[in-house]
Amino acid sequence: MQHSDKIKTILLVDDDIDLLEQNKLLMESKGFNVVTAESGKEGFEVFTKVKPDLAIIDLIMEEYDSGFILCHRIKKTEHGKRIPVFILTSATYNTGFKFSSETKEEREWIKCDGILNKPVVVDELISKLNNYFDE
Amino acid sequence: MEELKENKAKELIKESTPKVLIVDDEKGLRLGTQRLLEMEGYYVETAENGTEGIEKGTNNDFDLAVIDLKMPDIDGLQVLAEIKNARPNTVCLIATAYASYDTAIESTRLGAYGYIPKPFTPDELLYNLQKAYTQRVLMLESEQLKKEREANLLELANERSRLSTIINLIGDGVLVINKQGEVVYRNNAVFKNLNIVEAKNNIELLSKLPDKIIDLIDNYLGSDELIKKSYSTQIEIIHNELFVEAVTSPVPNPDGTLAGVAVVIRNITELKKIELIKNQFVSMVAHELKTPVAAVLGFLKIIIDKNLNISDQQRDDFVSRSILRLRSLLDLVNDLLDISRMELKTKQREIVTLDIKEIIKSTVELLEIEAQKRSISFNIVMENYVPVIKADQNEITRLFTNILSNAVKYNKEEGSINIITGSNENYLIVKVIDTGIGLKDDDKEKLFQEFYRVKNEHTRGISGTGLGLTIVKQIVDSYHGKIEVESQYGKGTTFTIYLPINNNN
Repeated sequence: MQHSDKIKTILLVDDDIDLLEQNKLLMESKGFNVVTAESGKEGFEVFTKVKPDLAIIDLIMEEYDSGFILCHRIKKTEHGKRIPVFILTSATYNTGFKFSSETKEEREWIKCDGILNKPVVVDELISKLNNYFDE
Repeated sequence: MEELKENKAKELIKESTPKVLIVDDEKGLRLGTQRLLEMEGYYVETAENGTEGIEKGTNNDFDLAVIDLKMPDIDGLQVLAEIKNARPNTVCLIATAYASYDTAIESTRLGAYGYIPKPFTPDELLYNLQKAYTQRVLMLESEQLKKEREANLLELANERSRLSTIINLIGDGVLVINKQGEVVYRNNAVFKNLNIVEAKNNIELLSKLPDKIIDLIDNYLGSDELIKKSYSTQIEIIHNELFVEAVTSPVPNPDGTLAGVAVVIRNITELKKIELIKNQFVSMVAHELKTPVAAVLGFLKIIIDKNLNISDQQRDDFVSRSILRLRSLLDLVNDLLDISRMELKTKQREIVTLDIKEIIKSTVELLEIEAQKRSISFNIVMENYVPVIKADQNEITRLFTNILSNAVKYNKEEGSINIITGSNENYLIVKVIDTGIGLKDDDKEKLFQEFYRVKNEHTRGISGTGLGLTIVKQIVDSYHGKIEVESQYGKGTTFTIYLPINNNN
């Protein structure tokens, strides 16, 4: 599935260990290397250590905005500026949480490269990731 | 025709006995006139000079007065003037043998109704008095009408001011626009509800109305036919702080054409705030429901996906984890239903006298197995006398189940839970002291919020709906009790529950 030679490493951060394990399993089956963390705090530690090629972060973890905060922290680092970071959430316009990554301003404010809705359709996600890695 | 009128007047005089004052210094004329008039149905009084004439004529309300012009003491014109001044509705006739143009003008100016030249015949006198009396009746009628009109006007003015007071007192803004699009009425609430600080006049007020209201008004004014419907719109006047609902209705003329538009502007900020809280709650609920469903769905998809080729052990693990998630989902739904029922007060309560000791003992028994797994011990200290309370058994059991199961769940291995019951004058007091992970100040504040769950390295793997303490708080509040939390992070937490004692028993 992958177009580049090196195996890409993805950081998954989610406080729901079931979802974390599922997504890890699915992505590994598609040939990615997956590292995981269960909180914003742990997420940043793993990020610093592993320097992944991409990060997918759950929004609501220990706090309602843990995902945003981790996103900001990652994007402040040199490595973080180079990689795509996605926010993963079931909180969307439909559920009354009014934010999106539609406009450039919004993306800059959130500091993420896109918002993925839960539950993730893995095939869609993978093609999205491959698009990123192709560019 | 003339005769008919005269007959009518005669009848009228007989029916109503008009009061006549004769002022004349000639005794013979006075008496003769008196006799004649009394025969015709008049009531007659006489005055033999001007002074007496003024006295009688001003003190009594005579219908008619016949005043001699020349009298030895006071001139007849002065008598006329005094009587007219005090009794404007007394119809006065001047009797004189010296009629002159000047006195005629002067007496008319002073309010005399007419002139009777002396000497007069009885018929001449009667004819003049009849005419004068008809005038008197007309004057009285007109005065009556005037009084009634004034009373009506006063009543109308009072009614208007009453209405205006009422409309100014109500909290809803009331605004009336005429067909020309001009403000013809507005109460003070219009300014308040639309946050218009100042408008020097109604034209300026019009320019400060929100576009949405203007659009609705134009709708009516611009239509050829009378629009009979009312329209409403909601407007956010100050972001997140002031919301109003404006309702426009047509004001029709009696002939069915449009006279103007009435606008009622109601402050709906409180409703909007409640709506917002409700929406946030619904969003949170949706999120909390979606998460376990997503987890179970994920597991099932993985299990069914042949390409993934998971091991039997993995499959069994995923199935049992799915079951756990579904169980907790069910707990969540039940908690939500309880909260909703309690908020709607539709829950059937059975208020009985409760023995709190029994409830605590049985709750502890249920939790004992779970506690023993982690070597947590219960220690119950009860005063000999524990007052009874009146409450619903299920609710109080639920209250202590939630508190005590938290004390177990968030406790440390080999920890303990002390339950102390006591009372003061008004309350039954239960303290639940655990040796658990404790709370940070931040967490303490949010503890009773819906779906709030403390998340840190110690709470990993502890399951819950995030509604347990919300329910506890609701139950305590519904009995007018209170609950206090003391905690030291890392050391333990103490919940103190106060339930009002039923003093009647």
